[in-house]
Amino acid sequence: MDTLNWALIAPLIVIQFVLMIMALIDIKRIHATNGPKWVWILVVIVVNTIGPIVYFIFGRKNV
Amino acid sequence: MIILLKKEWLEMLRSYRIVWLPLLFILLGISDPLTNYYMEDILATVGNMPDGFSMTMPELAPSDLLIASLGQFQMIGLLVIVAITASMISRERQNGTATLIYVRPVSNFSIYMSKLIAMALLTLVCTIAGFGASMYYTYLLYGGVSTTAFLLLMLFYWLWLLMVIATTITFSALWTTSIAMTVAIVLFPLGILLDSVIGAYWHYSPYKLALYGASWLTTQSDYLWGTCSIVVAWTIFVSLLGIWATGWKRSTTKI
Repeated sequence: MDTLNWALIAPLIVIQFVLMIMALIDIKRIHATNGPKWVWILVVIVVNTIGPIVYFIFGRKNV
Repeated sequence: MIILLKKEWLEMLRSYRIVWLPLLFILLGISDPLTNYYMEDILATVGNMPDGFSMTMPELAPSDLLIASLGQFQMIGLLVIVAITASMISRERQNGTATLIYVRPVSNFSIYMSKLIAMALLTLVCTIAGFGASMYYTYLLYGGVSTTAFLLLMLFYWLWLLMVIATTITFSALWTTSIAMTVAIVLFPLGILLDSVIGAYWHYSPYKLALYGASWLTTQSDYLWGTCSIVVAWTIFVSLLGIWATGWKRSTTKI
């Protein structure tokens, strides 16, 4: 594992992080979500990658 | 038409779709080259293998990794695309936006086509982002493939996605969101599974277009053009059906 090339792994982590931050900002700004907001915050933080995606598809209440 | 397209664009920005969908495809695209490259390390760390266990890793060619990425797009990527496309027209009918559009002098053609063009552009961005990321990592870790083959691979994958979104938008025009989503998910992501299990018995199947498109990387498939014409014909057919369905729902709306 010492040979792990961080330059290769970094984009993966950055993208996951960006998705998470985007979802969190959106939860903060949106008027209401489908279901309680705190559950979505938990989902987005705990479940990486899939969490934000699921939030963007099902969590946003489209007015 | 232009105004409707602008509205679709605005909606994509507001729902962040234009950002997160390509990001998801990039993630899917790089996951395969990376995990395959580090497979030995991963197994050694978390594999719980007994001492002295050894395993011969297959020698992977660059084209194998691109095809593996294609598999990822076909499973998770397709599921997500279908899920967001299935609500495009039906949701507007539910929340009343559609009625606002219906009272204006816009043709059914424009309503349907604005959705289709918007999604087509979005999926084009996703295809380029996803395969671009996959290619970049494959190139770094394994080596390159011919540029023409790579471009053709993307083109045919996009053609397949175009068929998927045209069909799904038509379902959305015909039925409510939940029905449209269910039918589209059964038809596409599950259809691909079914086709890969029992599909050895037929050659001309729209589900195989992406795979045939990938065959540019190795040996060109004999069935590519036949399958391609089926897909194009089907796309045109469902688009016409969708335009008709938009008009049908419009005529039954009480204003």
